[in-house]
Amino acid sequence: MLEKYKRIIGAVLLINILLVATHEGEFWPFSIYPMFSQAGKPWSRGVVEDVRDTTRSDLWETKPIEAIDNRILPLEEYGIHEIDFANYISKTRSWNAEKINGLRTTFQIDDYPGKMWMATRVVGSINEQDSVVIKAIPMFLFTPDSTYKNPNLFPNK
Amino acid sequence: MDRLLRNLFHFEAPQSIGTKIQLRAFEFFTVIYTLLYTWEWAFYVPRLSDVVLPLGVANYLNVEIFFSELATVNAIVITLSCLIPLLFKRLRWLYVPAFLLFHLQYVTRFSQGEIPHSANLVAFSLMGLALAAVFVRDIKKSLPFAFGFTIFFLGLGYTSAAISKLVATGITWPDGQHLWLWIGEKSIDILSKTGEFQLNWLQELALSSRFIATVILTFGLVAELLGFLVWWKHLRPYVTLALIGMHIGIDLTMNIFFKTFTIQLIIMGFPWNRYINNFSKRLRSLPLKAFGRYLLY
Repeated sequence: MLEKYKRIIGAVLLINILLVATHEGEFWPFSIYPMFSQAGKPWSRGVVEDVRDTTRSDLWETKPIEAIDNRILPLEEYGIHEIDFANYISKTRSWNAEKINGLRTTFQIDDYPGKMWMATRVVGSINEQDSVVIKAIPMFLFTPDSTYKNPNLFPNK
Repeated sequence: MDRLLRNLFHFEAPQSIGTKIQLRAFEFFTVIYTLLYTWEWAFYVPRLSDVVLPLGVANYLNVEIFFSELATVNAIVITLSCLIPLLFKRLRWLYVPAFLLFHLQYVTRFSQGEIPHSANLVAFSLMGLALAAVFVRDIKKSLPFAFGFTIFFLGLGYTSAAISKLVATGITWPDGQHLWLWIGEKSIDILSKTGEFQLNWLQELALSSRFIATVILTFGLVAELLGFLVWWKHLRPYVTLALIGMHIGIDLTMNIFFKTFTIQLIIMGFPWNRYINNFSKRLRSLPLKAFGRYLLY
């Protein structure tokens, strides 16, 4: 019986190695478990700022996270998965109309009259003084009527 | 090699009440968590609109068709395929479609760029039950096989995680600065989720000293690296305790709690069968026979 078990374990192990080797380390549940393997690299996440005043001068400026952390939209209260949102806003390279509308659909802001939500990319890194620096980069402002793109990032569109 | 296999698959007193309780607890846990994940994902996927990052079989199949009530149909089939063999102890081959459809449900839900590993061990347990149903069949032998199979991939997984870190970053991986950066990253995830974030005592301690942060990461790396030692029965409880300690540390420093892994480590990492057998005289006075018919085998 042990001989049989050995063959089963060996076969599954071989399949495991072949699948993770040909699928960038992930073929669920087979995995090389690469989470947190690349230490010290700058990261990118996302938050949604609950905007109350669109006339303020720093609306579209990149700023320290402390400048907006008292008005962050709690995504769990709106049924939005924060990691999905973070991945969407940080991994999307080409912001075409379809991608922007996909983000807008996720928020379902049409159901919240009077609200203005800024989809914000957040980046973190270690600076030369060995301190962690976290910056918020405004990307898109959603209102029930319109979508506005950051003119500093999308100047000609 | 045979000694290692005996450590994985042989239980002392295999027909004892203690062994039956531990093995069936493993099977019940596997099914319950398979169904919890399956339904959680089924309720979420109708919100998705397009695939950002295809995983597993989604590399070959457009899973966008499951962004609908099809995910619920899938969940119903998985539920039946798990509950029938669990409760009636027959048609155990149904664990095979349950595992395959569970994979499909995962790659449908996690097509948005996130690659969580919280359900991996549950999936390996289900895979072990499926393989046992096909190749071992007799429940008295198939459950010890599935248990040992899961222990094997549990140990391999933790050690792989440590090796990945050493390969990707090198020996400097435990540098405390790296923990500072991750605490900052996870603080943003919590802020995004709840609208607020407060550092806890361990995070404040880690951020106050690069040395302390380095010690915390070093403990985690060593615990993971030694994960394969769970393959040996006499070391299993100690390695399990170290891994549970590591998960508590991850929760306190990075706000990521691997609840399912921790519960499964508790069920599988300690010789509960021996503890229960030691108390078997007291257990005999409990109405086990009535429940045993369904709960045990």
